[in-house]
Parts: sequence; structure tokens; C-alpha cells
Amino acid sequence: MEGMTKKARLKKILKYTLWTLLGVVIAFFVFLCVVNADFLQFTITGLSVGMVYALIALGFVLVWKASSVANLALGQIVLISSWFSYTMLAQAGLPAYIGLPIVVLFALFLGWVIERFALRPLIAQPILSLIAVTLGIGYFLEGLITFIWPLSTAGLPELFPKEVIHIGSAVISQEYLWVIGICLLVFIALTVFFRYHRMGIAMRATADDQTAVQACGIPVTRVFSTSWMFACVVAAIGGVLISSIGGITHGLVETGLKAFSVVILGGLDSFIGAIVAGPIIGLAETYGGGYLTTYLWAGVRDIIPFVIIIIVMVIKPFGLFGEERIERI
Amino acid sequence: MKTKKLIISAIVCLILVIASLPYMTACGGADKEGKTIKLGISTPSTGIAAEKGRPLEHGQKDAIAYVNAELGGVDGYQIEIVWRDNGYDAAQMSNIVRNFMDEGCVMFSTSSSAMMTASMGLANEYGFAGLAAFSSPNLYRPPQHIYGQLPDYGDDFLAFMDYYLDEIWEGSGQPTVAIHALNNSTGKGAINAARAYAEEMGITILWDGAVGKAFEHKADSLSEMESLTRINAMNPDVLYISSTPAPTALIVKNARELGMDVVIASGHAGLTSALVDLAGEDAEGVYGVFPTVSWGDDVPGMAKMMEYCEANHPEDAGNGDYITGWTQSLIMIEIVRTALQNADYDAIAAGDADAWAIIENEGIKKLSYDVEGLHGPVSYTVDDNRLSKSVLIFNIQNGIIKAITDWIEAPVVRYEDLDWFGQ
Amino acid sequence: MSLPCGIRNLTYAQDMAIVRTKTQWGMLLGLLVVVFTAPLYLSNYWLGVFNLIGITIIAATGLNILTGYCGQLSIGHAGFIAVGAYTSAILTTRFEMPFLVGLICAGLMAGVIGIIFGLPSMRVKGFYLAITTIAAQFIIMWIINQWGWTGGQLGMTVPFASIGGYIFKSGQSQFYLIIGITVLCVFIAKNLVRTRVGRAFIAIRDNDLAAEVMGVNLTYYKLMAFFIGCFFAGIAGSLFAHWNITLTPEQFSFKNSILYVGIIIIGGLGKSVGPILGVLFINLLKEVLTINVVPFLEDKLTMFPSGFASGVTPMLFGLVIVLFLILEPRGIAHRWNLIKASYRLWPFSY
Repeated sequence: MEGMTKKARLKKILKYTLWTLLGVVIAFFVFLCVVNADFLQFTITGLSVGMVYALIALGFVLVWKASSVANLALGQIVLISSWFSYTMLAQAGLPAYIGLPIVVLFALFLGWVIERFALRPLIAQPILSLIAVTLGIGYFLEGLITFIWPLSTAGLPELFPKEVIHIGSAVISQEYLWVIGICLLVFIALTVFFRYHRMGIAMRATADDQTAVQACGIPVTRVFSTSWMFACVVAAIGGVLISSIGGITHGLVETGLKAFSVVILGGLDSFIGAIVAGPIIGLAETYGGGYLTTYLWAGVRDIIPFVIIIIVMVIKPFGLFGEERIERI
Repeated sequence: MKTKKLIISAIVCLILVIASLPYMTACGGADKEGKTIKLGISTPSTGIAAEKGRPLEHGQKDAIAYVNAELGGVDGYQIEIVWRDNGYDAAQMSNIVRNFMDEGCVMFSTSSSAMMTASMGLANEYGFAGLAAFSSPNLYRPPQHIYGQLPDYGDDFLAFMDYYLDEIWEGSGQPTVAIHALNNSTGKGAINAARAYAEEMGITILWDGAVGKAFEHKADSLSEMESLTRINAMNPDVLYISSTPAPTALIVKNARELGMDVVIASGHAGLTSALVDLAGEDAEGVYGVFPTVSWGDDVPGMAKMMEYCEANHPEDAGNGDYITGWTQSLIMIEIVRTALQNADYDAIAAGDADAWAIIENEGIKKLSYDVEGLHGPVSYTVDDNRLSKSVLIFNIQNGIIKAITDWIEAPVVRYEDLDWFGQ
Repeated sequence: MSLPCGIRNLTYAQDMAIVRTKTQWGMLLGLLVVVFTAPLYLSNYWLGVFNLIGITIIAATGLNILTGYCGQLSIGHAGFIAVGAYTSAILTTRFEMPFLVGLICAGLMAGVIGIIFGLPSMRVKGFYLAITTIAAQFIIMWIINQWGWTGGQLGMTVPFASIGGYIFKSGQSQFYLIIGITVLCVFIAKNLVRTRVGRAFIAIRDNDLAAEVMGVNLTYYKLMAFFIGCFFAGIAGSLFAHWNITLTPEQFSFKNSILYVGIIIIGGLGKSVGPILGVLFINLLKEVLTINVVPFLEDKLTMFPSGFASGVTPMLFGLVIVLFLILEPRGIAHRWNLIKASYRLWPFSY
């Protein structure tokens, strides 16, 4: 007993030390932002890019939380919803308040179709087969995009005002502020949904133990279907926002893949993890790029996040906020 | 169980259809009348470079369709296209080249410099001549069997800096230039030219640390604020971007957001209508280099090309890559025509090693063609595998990419003599 | 078991033998004869396709040992192949070593790099481990992209493979070299998983805690799996370098790494025949789609504008993968076993 309390006390002290350390680090960063203009710009850019990653990562976590499937087609879903919104907003010329709801409906439909026709037949099969199916879906969607939209690159009509906002000496474009706002909104909505709504609770239960849930009379198929529909909507929101910033290009697929690193760092089943890990990776990229590129090889920006992730993973094997699974034989 | 049976039969049908298609192709090919000459064409029509690959593909195919339908082919021989999509997948490219050689193509084109890099080993080994619309010095320095249709990414940089020093630069001392390069041969071409010629031209390159290390980005970059912040701190006079349209647009937009006071210029890989689409107002005033005339110019070949584009691919209207693809095919056809004047049909149509040698020695090396005015005249000079050597400088005004100079000839750079080349 | 009725194991050696009956020997010999006479009736292009298939089988076999048998998910296999390819290329061009030295060093180098990136597997497992292999992919490719010796982004030219003065230049000779090594690698892999090491791998895959309790040294065997898996990747990389004779970093993309995982899942995880069937399926499908189907559609359906069919390649590719997995979620190897069983038990299959 005594040993336990001692351990608990030690843990408590460690926890406080870590929080204080975190506070000191943040204070130091704020101080640096105030005194150094470049640093401020790096911070703002890192945070805003990181939020973009976080937004896409949310869609990934959503599917994982309900069915433990890693969605390798995420990037392609982002891309196809962007193209669809291009058709709605630019080609059909609909105003945003009509066009965007149609895009959301399309995303719901897309999610339903993917789940119903590709993943439903594989319920209760090895999980890796499901992951390979999403790989196939990714190829299919990519081909479909090339088939339907021969343009291969396009710009969305402006959804947000163009003027940049000055924060001290640094600038941030308004588009990114919208991204950050919408990302936080989506995050709050998802957290509340998963915590309080019946369906959300059912989703968590399904991820935990599919067989037990079925025995309780929860319709697993509907749970999966809903989670895919929601995931596609989140991906579509991400797609519209990112392509309104940088245009619709094939690069969106790679951005979708980047979300993997974010989710793994944050913890595969954690929304808060995605929201925290996104900016961490964004900041690591810009600080790393900003201060190390001159001394190391070019492109070090893309490597720094991985180094950080590996270090974090060795300390916390289930990511920053991931649920630790206690294993028994 | 019933659905499973349905799925099984569906899959069996699908596989049967797929498996039977090749035989149908074989039949289709066999009963074609008349004599043909085969050209191998590979474009990155899917994958990450599709924004350029698709208009190039459309242009190339339309040009050959035009020559076959309206000019009756080359001296009466129809041109047969052997087209393969490489998906910008370097691993698959080498088998596509083998396929071209087996199919009896007389030469091949890849459009993209990266795909040509992936296939140049085989092509050089077998003496199978290849033409790359977009090229970088590593493809033909030292010159072997790979040819560049247009000046390379290094020539762009030199031509633009020449123009800049003559027409724009008003300060004293040397202008400072920052290069933002894509992390493949597209960016490397400009970097190599800058490294080789900066001193001679009287410009100062702002390297990112060590000499020869430019600012670099990836094709899927989401924000370049970080690198541009660092460039801004160095206060350059010129920001030169050698990249594809999407990242170029991103860099231009970010530079405008940062309020950078620089002259921005883009190499010919990035200067297409896609750049204007993506960057919008921010693209205003951006300079660029492109080796073809602009869309709708009054040159002999323009009307026909616009007619075909309008009929088949209206979405490509105004895209310089369509012109590039179109002219790439025209040049390949002209090479065949030249070769036919100096050798007989049967030797060429065989498509074997002898035919490749004939195409190269009697076709490419004796080539002299004005490309119907669509880009600088093409001809072969010894020790220089670039067929066309001239570029135009463009400026984006009111959303239109407009030529502002006459043809500028780019010099031959003997990169292989520089000790750092290829290191 | 996989033996026809009436055949009993009388000795331990008989029980362990892979090939038992005369029919099995006959079929194996027949298969080998077909494989090794293939250059006589295949065109240069198809030889190229099968050479690439052979190389890919070696790499996929390595990944199968690592992921299929030992359960360590790796999404960075293309990176390890690149290590092998560039090691061999640098040794043969810059140090002018013979090809065989390059081949072995490529395997060893890739194996060592694999061990380094396998170290986190001590603490991290499952999908979380995937990130260290993804990191391996990106860090390796970054180094190759930037380091002078590898030719950087422009790549490098490599000589053809040569042994004792004989240069493997023609498609036929390359075929014999590559398929010979492929058969050897598959043979080694098949037997490796039947040894103590292989059983340890399987124990770790099924439940690593239980394996540890049983006395399996987790550190040792996990790192060993990384070494062996990446050794195969290195060998494949070296063969690729001397077969394609041009190396560029873009040949080893992250997308390829993901596809490798797809290949072994479609083929059948943890089955020695799985990678072979998976690679044959994926590569042949891709080749037929790019070389035959899409150009054919372009040719025949002239009512559409030119270039409409380019999206068809990835579309059909993805569609066939999805349909295939719906039909056979346990991989081709499973179906293969069912076919074998029904042949063996015919006509009394119940």
C-alpha cells in the first residue's frame, strides 16, 4: 500500500512539473514572438498550417473511432469533394449558401456509398483487408476524378475576403482564420456528439468490441455507415477550405496523407489529440524549416516532424492522447 | 449467398473483359490498311503532374490526328500513336520504354523531364531516340540519344536574367536573386544555370546557406510563408521560381501576402493558364519565360491548333502546355518526314535498332523546321541536343499571359565540364 | 494437411518435406521448366514486366516476413528498397566494386538501416509503429535527395549487372539472373518461417506478451524480423538498380510503400505463396491496364475526345482491388488453398 501511494505521489509531482514546464515553454515562445518578427511569422504560419492538418485528421479519427479502420483513401475523398464543390460553385455558378449544402449532401452520399458497397461486405473480416479496400477506393476515386474533371487543376471562387490581417509585424490571410475557426467548431461538435449523443456512444462502443455491441442490439451497420458519412463530411469541409486557399490540385491527396502523422502523434482515437498534434507538426515544420534549413540540407522541414513524432512515440507509445490499451494474455 | 454469386460472376466478367481486350487490340491493329509509322508517346496524364500531363496529352494526340486526317500523314504514311500513361510513376516508366521498343516505335517522347530521367538509361543504352518537351541539363549533358524539344530550365533562367539586367534593373551594383526551386530536375536546372553563370552575368544569387543550395519546395506544399519570410529578410531584387503551376501559384500568393517588394519570375514549367487560374489577381505583373508563342498569336500554325482544341478539348483553351504538346507531335512528325527523305520507308517502319539510328542520323540531325511559328525554329547543332534554343519573356497583365519580347536565344552551357555537375 | 489420402508420414524428415508426392515433384519441375524457358517465347517487353515482377516478389517476400509473419506493420518498404538500390549503385560506380559485392552489401545495408528504424518497435506496436516506418521512408528519401553521392534529385546512372566479366544486358540474361535470385529468396523465406526463428515470429504476431512469457526474446526477434525483411528489400533494390540502370528518388515513392502493403494483403498475409500471387495480380493488372486496355479504349471509342481514357487506369485498378477483396478478404493465397484442397479431395469434397 505504501509503495502505491509513494508512486502515486511521485506521479502527481511529475504531472505538476510537466505542466509547469509546458507553461514555461509557452511563455518563452510568446516572449520570442514579441521580440522577434520572424519568429512571430513562423509561429502564426505553423499554427495555421497545423490547423489544416488537424481538420483533415479529424475525419481520419472519426472512422478509426467507430471501426478501427485506417482510411487510406482520405486524400482522394478530400480531392473529390473539392472538385464537386468546384462544379457547384464555379461551373454551375451557385451561390455559396446553396452550393455548399449540396456539397455536404454529396459527401454524405459518398460516405454512404463507400460504406455500403465496399466496407459492409467485409464486416468481421481481418482488419488489414478493410485497410486494403480503402487503398483500392483511393485508386478508384483518383481515376474517377481524372475521368470526370479533365481540367486537373482549378481555383475555387473566393469564399473568404482576401485582405491579409496584420498581427504585429506578421501577416495571416483571413482564409486561415476561417480554417482555424471552422476546425475548432468541427472539433467541438464531434466531441460533444461522441460524448453525449446515443449514436456517438454507440460508435465508441462498436470500436471497443464489435461482437458485444451486436449482442446488445446496437445496429453495427448503421454505426459504420454514419461514421463514414460524417468522416466524408469532415473531409469535404477540409477540402473546400484548403482548395479555397491553394486551389484544387493533386497535392491535396498528399496533404491527406500528411494527416496520418498528425493522427498517430495525437493518438489514433482522440479528437483532442488531432487538434493538438496538428499545430505541433505545423510548428515543427516552420521552426525546423525556418532555423535549420540554412545549416542542413534543403527540405529538412519535412523531416523534423518525424523526428519529433518518433521521440514522442518512444515516450508515449499510444500517442499524446491516445487510449492506452492494457494487454492481457 | 446469392449476392456473393453475383459478385463472383461480376468479377469473372470483368476479368474476362480485361483479359480479352488485348486480343481485340491485336485484331484491330492487324486489319488496318496502308502503311504506318509508329511513334511512342508517354504522358503523365494521371498522378501528381496531371495538371501538365493532360493538356500535353491532348495536344500531342490532336496534332497527330490533324496530320493524319488533313495532311494525309507523312508522305502518305499514316502515323500510328502508341500512347501510354505513365502516371508520373518512375518505376513503371522503364517498362513503358521497353514496350515502345517492342512495339516498333521509331522514337518516343515523355514530355516530362523527370520521366525522361527515369527512362534515359535504357534509351541511351539501346540508342532509342527520345524527345522531352520539358528538359533539364542532366538529360543531355553530355549529349547522347535524348533530345530536348525546347530550351531547358537552365536556359529559362539565363534568358530571363539577361532580359532583367537590360530592361528592368535600375539600381547600382549587382542585383540579388533568390531562387525557389521544386525538388526535382525542374528546380535543379535553374539552380545549375545560376551556379554556372551568376558571376559572368553580374548577379548575386542568394543561396540558402551553402553555394548551390537554393530555397526548395515540394509539389504538394501547403504554405511557403516560412521560406519566403527568410527570403524576405535577405531583401532580394528578384524572386525566380522554377516549378510547376500549383506550387508557383502558392509561392506567388504567399509572397504577395507578405508584401514582398520583388520582381517575381517563373520558369516555363510553371507559366501556364493554370497559374493565372490558381493565383488570380496575385499573378498580376509576374514575369515568366515560355518557349512557345502565346495563345491566339498570329502565326501560321495557330488557327489549326485552336480549331482542334476548340473541337476536342475546350477546357485546354489558353493553356501553353497544349501548344507544347501539339508542337512536340509536329516535331516528331517532321523528324520522320526528314528521315523519309534520306532513307526508305521500310527501313524506318521496321522500328528496330537500325531504324532508330536512321531516325537519329537522318532525321533529328538533319532537322530544320519552323514549327509553323508556334515556337522557336528547331534544328540540330553539333554538341547541343536542344532542338529549339529560343524563348520568349512573358508578363501577366489583366489575367492574360502576354509576350513582351522577341525570341531570345539561350547559349549552350557545357555543364559536364563543371566539376560540381552531377555531384 | 496438404497431402492426398493414403499417404502417411513415416519419418520426421518426411513430415517436414515441402514437396512430397511424385505429382508434386512433377508439378514443381514443370513450373520451373516453364519459368526458365519463358525467355524463349516472351518478347523483350514482357521479359521486362516479369523481371520487375521478380524484383517486386523479392521485396514483397521480405515485407511478408516482417508484416505477415512477425506482425510489424511497415509502410516504408520502398525506402528500404531505395537504400539497397543506392548502396549497390554507389559501390559499383564510385568504388568500382563487382556487382555481387554490391548485391550483398545492398542487402546488409538495408538490413542495418531496417534495424535502426525497427528500434522503436520495442515500445510501439500496431498501427502506431507504422509511423516510424513512414518516417523511415521520408528520412531515407530525404537523404538520397540531398546527398551528393547519390546524384541527388537528378538520380544516377548505374552499369548493368555483371558476374565474372559477363554483362547481363539483354532481357533474357537479366531474366535468368533475377528469376534465379527470386526463386532462391522465396525458397529461403519459405524455409525460414519453418525454423525456430519463424515460429518465434508467428508467436510474436499472434500475441507478443504470450510469446515473451514463453521465453521468446522480443527485442532480438523483432529486430531480426526487421533485418531479414529489409535485407530482402535491399536485394530487390540492388537488382532494380542494375536492371533499370537509371535511379531517381522518384522511383521509390511513399505511394509505392503503401502499395506494397496492399500487395501482401491481397496476396495473403503470412503465407509464403501470398506475395508471389499478390505481385503477379497487382503488377499484371497494372501493366495490362496501362499498356493494353486504356490505349485500346482510346483507339476504339473515337466518339469521345482524345485523352478521355487516362482516368480509366486507376479507376479499374482500384475497382478490381475492391471487388477482389470483397470476394476474397483473406487474400489470393486462401483461395489458392481452397482450389488445391478441392482438387485433392475431388470427387469427395465433403
